[in-house]
Amino acid sequence: MFLLFINHANLLIICFRFFIGNLPIYFPYDKIYPEQYSYMVDLKKAIDAGGHCLLEMPSGTGKTVSLLSLIVAIQANYKEKRKLIYCSRTVPEIEKALAELRNLIEYRKKCGEKDEYLGIGLTSRKNLCINSSVVNQEKWGKVVDARCRNLTASWIREKSKLYSPGKVPLCNFYEKMEKDNERQKMLIPDGVYTLEELREYGKVQGHCPYYMARRTIPFANAVIYSYHYLLDPKVAELVSKELSKDCIVVFDEAHNIDNVCIESLSIDITKPNLDASAKSIAKLRDVIEEIKKKDSQRLLDEYNKLVEGLMAASQERDEDVYLSNPILPEDLSHEAVPGNIRQAEHFVAFLRRFVEYLKTRMRAQQVVAESPMSFLQNCREVTLIERQPLRFCSQRLTSLVRTLELLDLNDYYALHKVAAFATLVATYEAGFMLILEPFENDTIPNPIFHYACLDASIAIKPIFKRFKTVVITSGTLSPLDMYPKMLNFQAAVQESYSMTLTRNCFLPLVVTRGSDQVAISSKFEVRNDPAVVRNFGQILVEFSKIVPDGIVAFFPSYLYMESIVAMWNDMGILNEAWKHKLIFVETPDAAETSLALENYRKACDNGRGAILLSVARGKVSEGIDFDHNYGRAVIMFGVPYQYTESRILKARLEFLRENYRIRESDFLTFDAMRHAAQCVGRVLRGKTDYGLMIFSDKRFARADKRNKLPRWLNQFITDACTNLSTDMALVTAKKFLRTMAQPFERDQLGVWSVEDVERQERSNVGAGGRAAQFN
Amino acid sequence: MTKIINSNEELIDIDDEAQNATQQIGYAWEEEYKRSWDVLQEDEDGGLKHTVEHLQSRKRKRLERDTSIIKRGIIRHMFLIIDLSEAMLEKDLRPSRLDLTLSYAEQFILEFFDQNPISQLGVIVSKSGVAEKLMGLSGNPMDNINVLKKKNIDTDGEPSLQNALEMARSSLIHVPAHGSREILIIMGSLTSCDPGDINETIDNLVSENIRVSIVGLAAEVQICKLMCKKTKGTYGVVLNEAHFKDLLFEIIPPPPVSIVKSKSELVVMGFPRGVNESIPSLCACHSKPVSGGYICARCNSKICDLPTDCPICELTLVSSPHLARSYHHLFPVANFEEVPWSSALTTHCFSCQMPFQTQPQVVKGRSNNVTSIDSSGRYNCPKCKKHFCIECDTFIHEVIHNCPGCLSTSENST
Repeated sequence: MFLLFINHANLLIICFRFFIGNLPIYFPYDKIYPEQYSYMVDLKKAIDAGGHCLLEMPSGTGKTVSLLSLIVAIQANYKEKRKLIYCSRTVPEIEKALAELRNLIEYRKKCGEKDEYLGIGLTSRKNLCINSSVVNQEKWGKVVDARCRNLTASWIREKSKLYSPGKVPLCNFYEKMEKDNERQKMLIPDGVYTLEELREYGKVQGHCPYYMARRTIPFANAVIYSYHYLLDPKVAELVSKELSKDCIVVFDEAHNIDNVCIESLSIDITKPNLDASAKSIAKLRDVIEEIKKKDSQRLLDEYNKLVEGLMAASQERDEDVYLSNPILPEDLSHEAVPGNIRQAEHFVAFLRRFVEYLKTRMRAQQVVAESPMSFLQNCREVTLIERQPLRFCSQRLTSLVRTLELLDLNDYYALHKVAAFATLVATYEAGFMLILEPFENDTIPNPIFHYACLDASIAIKPIFKRFKTVVITSGTLSPLDMYPKMLNFQAAVQESYSMTLTRNCFLPLVVTRGSDQVAISSKFEVRNDPAVVRNFGQILVEFSKIVPDGIVAFFPSYLYMESIVAMWNDMGILNEAWKHKLIFVETPDAAETSLALENYRKACDNGRGAILLSVARGKVSEGIDFDHNYGRAVIMFGVPYQYTESRILKARLEFLRENYRIRESDFLTFDAMRHAAQCVGRVLRGKTDYGLMIFSDKRFARADKRNKLPRWLNQFITDACTNLSTDMALVTAKKFLRTMAQPFERDQLGVWSVEDVERQERSNVGAGGRAAQFN
Repeated sequence: MTKIINSNEELIDIDDEAQNATQQIGYAWEEEYKRSWDVLQEDEDGGLKHTVEHLQSRKRKRLERDTSIIKRGIIRHMFLIIDLSEAMLEKDLRPSRLDLTLSYAEQFILEFFDQNPISQLGVIVSKSGVAEKLMGLSGNPMDNINVLKKKNIDTDGEPSLQNALEMARSSLIHVPAHGSREILIIMGSLTSCDPGDINETIDNLVSENIRVSIVGLAAEVQICKLMCKKTKGTYGVVLNEAHFKDLLFEIIPPPPVSIVKSKSELVVMGFPRGVNESIPSLCACHSKPVSGGYICARCNSKICDLPTDCPICELTLVSSPHLARSYHHLFPVANFEEVPWSSALTTHCFSCQMPFQTQPQVVKGRSNNVTSIDSSGRYNCPKCKKHFCIECDTFIHEVIHNCPGCLSTSENST
């Protein structure tokens, strides 16, 4: 039914409102795609059942808005007030989600709903700080953090009270906020603030946006931030401690969530890290000596506090906690700090011994892989360091830093890393592995100590346990049963949706052989075969002739890309491609890559056309969209398998096989295909967009590869396009590009109006209230 | 070796059998091709009239135009830019992109001058990064066609959009304000090799009211799309040979004039006298002896063809039928409406007197020939209410641009 409302401007507004069950939902567009509707139905089912769910829907089809519409409706209509925690991957994505949420809330207001809604986003100080002396065009987030702390730490503020005003520099925004905070409780009026608006509001009010956002989290109805604020224990403890049990947690773009989990508990220590730590330790010792002479009472106080127990001591304000714990809260020991590191100078000596020990270990000439247990044992035999004090390393260091009132904490970064390493090693046993690699690429001496987490479920377990509903959603989650296995949880609903398109706006082509009928593959045995390389080159050249504007090509690795490009250069293939398009290359260096990207876009805009050669696991493949003319075709050269010789990967594969019964080949294929899907998905960012997706490897034609692709992609791979040679693919592609260039009439075929939704809803109820299955 | 042959034979056998067994399904690639001969259906008498009529009425739908009376610039100045890059050698349009483009360009020029007799046209080509003006603005279609025919046209390198546009622009900015300024580009390449920032050129084109239309032969290029949108031109990408012609000929009716420069101005024009002499005399345009021709109204020199500019006194020379023909763009004939069976009482087409078909008796269960029941084959002029058949409808709108019904009634009334 359409509802008519008259708002104050006396304008008639027709609201798109419908019911799922008896939940009224407002949808801020006038049409809805069937898959959006079924997505909402399934999501509601999962939330009502109080279970977790796993939903796969292609991006660009309005996933975020469906999700928000439903959850906001639940928040408005259910008795218990549930908070929405929405985690996304990058800052632009957070910004986009916030804008979408604001749009929705405004729409609901227009339709006469009177809900008081506060939605905020949180990101790092680097993005939010408005104090010009702190930000100062600094690229490194850590430096901004340290500068901020130099102005806002509690002891600095204490000190400034003693001296005359102006003597000790403080942050004006922070001070103003503190002052206003005492008078009124609520920091920020209701509404949804994008990050930019938050900064604006901060500037107008003279408040610090970063701390304002952090302090509003407990009051907000919706919080949108990055994964790390929830998953990484180092940050989560600060930010997400006070979230209640019935929050609805959403992980968007979550196809890489297992890697995020693993990274949040893994640490790499390098030789320079150790050298820097040794220096910091020396500095610490000097500071302690000095304080001992001037103000020995302070050290004594700390000692007493530690005796009483660490937990009692941690009643400080959140701003002071800088070096927070790298382990999960529930694994935290509630005992008092062991006696031998309570004294400041003892602790420093202890640290020095540990760093020295690591240094000696790094002198090893061959690769060592050992369990944390054996590492600890060896450590005890050599240095007499016990496990218990190691566990407290991180906490003890935090306490020491606070006591010594240290400034410029950025200098202590390496030491903190070592302390975190110590704590992690001493805390976890199962699912972890210590790997020492003395050489980079087996030749260059560059020893690295990897403390690798192998089990993705460890980091996410507390989240599943703590919150009733966790929603994991992305464009590429196939095969769906892999995620519950890897993350070790039960999904109440897991569903993949097909895509309704008014026209077939993307064309996947599987090219298995060149025009000369030689099979092409990035398989190790044939990857440097000149015939294969030439055929890969032929694909690039031929497609650069027929595809307008931008082409993005993905290789499995930097190494492979380099060798292929060198061979292409010798064969004259690059010269041939140059005639039609400019060529840009992604490198591991971020600044270089962003420069290449900027010029790539320019060339796509002014009609010259460009090719971007990039890597399937690089920065380009994850965060950057190639919509419309920036990517009319994407070419996958080879299947993007991980580097299987990597020791960490080998250890992880073994772990997965033993503990979760996931076969190595299954996992590798799954991982390769999700990255392939991610890469080709870059070109399609919405239904008005169009693009070619070329999979060039004969292995893509195999059913076991293809059925690991997401359903929305698989749905458009026709049998006629699965086993093509280059010239056949070209003919099909040409025809496709011509058809897509025709004026696009947005006929509303396959799009639902309110009446359609209601009919569907009635039929669902008629079928005994069972879930909708109409794909 | 023998083994391989054997296995091949087996394969062939299997294929044949499979084809025999499942004839309806066929190969996957066959699905793409529609069997056009299966679509045709004969009627009871074995004729194809209904099907043909159906196809034609579909064509008619496509041709329905905007007939509201708007101000159009009938004096047009247009540059035709032809891409001569290597991409034009592709053979995806038969016989090749280049040959087809040249032959269509010729037809286009003829049709353009036929419909817009008092306009001017020039030709620019672009290859290997440079632009070359083959023909400046001229009012004579034969000049332009000869230039395309005569020159040994070959292709090389990439085109330069910017160079070609700048060249056209430098000629177009001098034309008087009463004429429209247009550029039509036929572009086979997907890339453009430009010396500077093409966006600046586009901004200049916009500020000088130059309309750019592009026909792309391969795929949609962003900069072309943007350029056409900004300069209020049209952009089309061809699907096949016939579509190419359609797109090209869409440019022929004069575009509406933007309101900004709706300043009235008087234009000097001469209406030359036609002569037919028994003794040939030299003409002023080609310096050749000809017997027939036109005499300039101002300087009395002899010219072969109209419309043109007098080579001696530079007066614009037209004949009155030319002006009249341009006139129909300003007052087009209204689209005819299809007549439903309920009011289909006439028996003959008003203009050609061919009998209309009568309404078939609707028999239940025999509705396979839906097309004949759908339309009565009569089309109604909204002004004079006369009924016409489909052929006359098309002829009236495409060729004579006058409704015979309306003309006859107005004669009666006066």
